Amino acid sequence: MSPTPPPGSPAPAEPRSMSRRSFLRGSTVMAAGVAAIAAGLAPLRKLEDFGSVEEFLRTHYLELTPEKMKEVLARIERGVEKQYGLRPHVRDYRPMNGVEFVYALNLTRCVGCRKCVHACVAENNQSRDPAIEYIRVLKMPNGTFDLEKGDHGYTPASVREPGFFYMPVQCHQCKNPPCVKVCPVKATWTEADGITVIDYNWCIGCRYCEAACPYFARRFNFAEPSIPKEKLNPNMSYLGNQPRHKGVMEKCHFCIQRTRAGLYPACLEVCPTGARKFGNILDPNSEVSYILKNKRVFVLKEEVGTLPRFFYYFDV
Amino acid sequence: MLLASAAVFVGLGAAFLATAPARPAAKPARPAAEAPRLEPSPVRISAAQLVKSGGDASALDCYACHDEKKKPQVPRDAAGRVLLPKDHADLVFSMRNCASCHVMGPPVKLELDKQGNTIIPPAHAADVQIAHGDNNRNNDCFNCHDPAKLNQLVTRDGTKLKLTEATQLCASCHGPTYRDWEAGIHGRTTGAWHRASGAITRLDCTSCHDPHAPAFPRMIPLPPPPRPSAAAHPAAPAPAHPTK
Repeated sequence: MSPTPPPGSPAPAEPRSMSRRSFLRGSTVMAAGVAAIAAGLAPLRKLEDFGSVEEFLRTHYLELTPEKMKEVLARIERGVEKQYGLRPHVRDYRPMNGVEFVYALNLTRCVGCRKCVHACVAENNQSRDPAIEYIRVLKMPNGTFDLEKGDHGYTPASVREPGFFYMPVQCHQCKNPPCVKVCPVKATWTEADGITVIDYNWCIGCRYCEAACPYFARRFNFAEPSIPKEKLNPNMSYLGNQPRHKGVMEKCHFCIQRTRAGLYPACLEVCPTGARKFGNILDPNSEVSYILKNKRVFVLKEEVGTLPRFFYYFDV
Repeated sequence: MLLASAAVFVGLGAAFLATAPARPAAKPARPAAEAPRLEPSPVRISAAQLVKSGGDASALDCYACHDEKKKPQVPRDAAGRVLLPKDHADLVFSMRNCASCHVMGPPVKLELDKQGNTIIPPAHAADVQIAHGDNNRNNDCFNCHDPAKLNQLVTRDGTKLKLTEATQLCASCHGPTYRDWEAGIHGRTTGAWHRASGAITRLDCTSCHDPHAPAFPRMIPLPPPPRPSAAAHPAAPAPAHPTK
């Protein structure tokens, strides 16, 4: 500290702002800091793609304008082409007017062949390894509905086995869906035609919905999904079977890319026995209307109040 | 000082971007992958489907072997049950669609004997029997076949039907099931639920049920949900903070 100059003496020269010592000290600290930052950023170099700004600043599905949707679909197509080397058709199918989907499954007819499970995997681009399957077929002993007694790993030489019935369980597309209630970011909601959908690009992967669902209908991508390129279904939809990424939920969506185009879902299409029936409950002449009028249908876990759109029934 | 550090950071950023690997060039468009396997073929081929598709319908001509003027005898065992004649051993088997059950393995090849009849594989030997319902009384050939004209079907009330009209014959006994079938509830329908969007494919009774042994055939189940493989679950690294 220099002493205060006595008054009257000429003003001293401007004191040097930085001494040699403090400059060296400062530059050493700075070099160390820069090196630390560079080391911290180093893993970024290994990234092949930084993702676009638009992808980072993405918009919720319900807030996408038609123009913006076009861009997003093109972006998803580019992403799929880059990852799988094949150009898909990603579309945004909207609900049809005056349509509410209902599924009915005849437990007398189901033989437990699991064709629905594998057709669903093929149609909806589910990860093969680790395997994600939307439909779980339970082999139940006759005379009980205790799901604890259900076995999903049965592998007999042939089905159906006497003394058992087979109950496929998938998303029930509830009218009062607990999964939608618990989602903290509104990434899942029920559409006008009754399908509960997930915006895979908005989901944060907290798995609350998985815990809330009483039917074990939701699946989580614990690892990056792997699908062989030649098995990819190129007919994709935004809310349906576009390839998912690690860390998001997915589930049955009644094959949105098929059913909103007027087709039957894939699980129904392959069912060899015709146990599965699907259609528009608002159309009084539809197959499901006939079943709900004439068969003794029931829903699974009625007491939890989820009001499923998926009905089971027995007949003769 | 501020300027100097800013310059250092700008330089660092430039160096980072310059050394970061360039984005791979867009790959050329490739043909679409094969559509997922949605096998809509039924477990059997009905006579109507066979005739409609122009297939070999010679097996439907009874009088290729039988004498038209002689009423055939129905062989029975001591208990009065109908025995399957040797010439008809593949009757219950011949119109099976093997591929509908054998979906996972290599395609199934049928072997034929010198007369052109199907040699029943040992695994299916037990399938081949006349078994229409739980009651033996249903197993009389002439409940459904006209004894005077074998390739003509006849209902209980005497209505004569062609082999391709088997559905009407079934309906003459199975009324409630036929009502459900007409409504599209019993049996398989494929295509479009929205009738304006596309056609729907309906099947005949005999596309799924063998009229001589109508119980739905037993099927090979597809594999159950697998456990994650080692590739999807690499061995966990040693914990970063070992517990003391």
